Amino acid sequence: MSQQQIFEKVIAVLKRYTKNEDALTGVSASTNILEDLKVNSARLVDVILDFEDVFNIEIADEDADGVNTVGDALQLIEARIG
Amino acid sequence: MGVQSFVVRLAGPITLTGIGLAMRFVYGFRFHDLREVRRRFKAELKVNPGPVMIAANHLTFVDSPILTWGLAPTWWYALRSAKMPWNTPERSNFAASLITRIVVYLFKCLPITRGGDRKAVTLVLDKLAHLLKRGHLVLMFPEGRRSRTTRIDRTHAAHGVGRLVKAVPGTRVLCVYLRGDHQDDFSLMPVKGETFHLATSWLEPATEKKGLRGSVDITGQILTRLEEMEAEYFNLR
Repeated sequence: MSQQQIFEKVIAVLKRYTKNEDALTGVSASTNILEDLKVNSARLVDVILDFEDVFNIEIADEDADGVNTVGDALQLIEARIG
Repeated sequence: MGVQSFVVRLAGPITLTGIGLAMRFVYGFRFHDLREVRRRFKAELKVNPGPVMIAANHLTFVDSPILTWGLAPTWWYALRSAKMPWNTPERSNFAASLITRIVVYLFKCLPITRGGDRKAVTLVLDKLAHLLKRGHLVLMFPEGRRSRTTRIDRTHAAHGVGRLVKAVPGTRVLCVYLRGDHQDDFSLMPVKGETFHLATSWLEPATEKKGLRGSVDITGQILTRLEEMEAEYFNLR
């Protein structure tokens, strides 16, 4: 799977949870999921579980802690996909 | 944390007596079947001395001291400091003044910023895991915040609860359903003179799921048990 495909799938997942869809138009690796996209902190768990389902990967609690930005998510997913 | 435990133990006879007297005589709080609840709690801890997490529903700002006081008399905690549960209150609720910060410290709290820096949250969870392994009781609210509907609310579930259970194998969860007779709406405090229903149920959560999904599964099992206890409460009312 190419980086672009991963990126598009990540954005598709985030779209379900973001309260600021406008922010998705200019999204970049440095976009903060909670602060910029206004994803509720309680929903961040659901976002990560959706990543698991969409990419067929497993994410540990400790790794989930490191997901603050879209770039963090991309990096984690790429590492898991191998 | 070691220092805090020591200070809490030293101050315990005064702080615990103070809180017990305030709840009984200033607020006039009472419990239904208090003697039986306390007898079962103490008996269970004696028979099964392993790691214990208390997981309770969350309706008011003072659920933690009320249920702590309901489970055992204050003198009992003064003699067994480790059995007075550690709490994780939201930092912003107590950060306003020095007095509230001192009170929080003396009542075994490790403040946490919900939705805050993940590494800081992880550090608190690691401390709690350490305490559980050393035989301390830890009190958590799996709903993650006070229920706005007064019924068990999963929308802001705190999956750190499941994560903590996973981190300390053999942890048993004492599910506690606490509700005042007059608790019909979302509120900060129970009404003065309130009488509480306090039910307990032991749970040994287990999951075959891995990673974050395992934590979510365990938190879900605890919330399901609390929902069952809530249904039982309303059926009997």
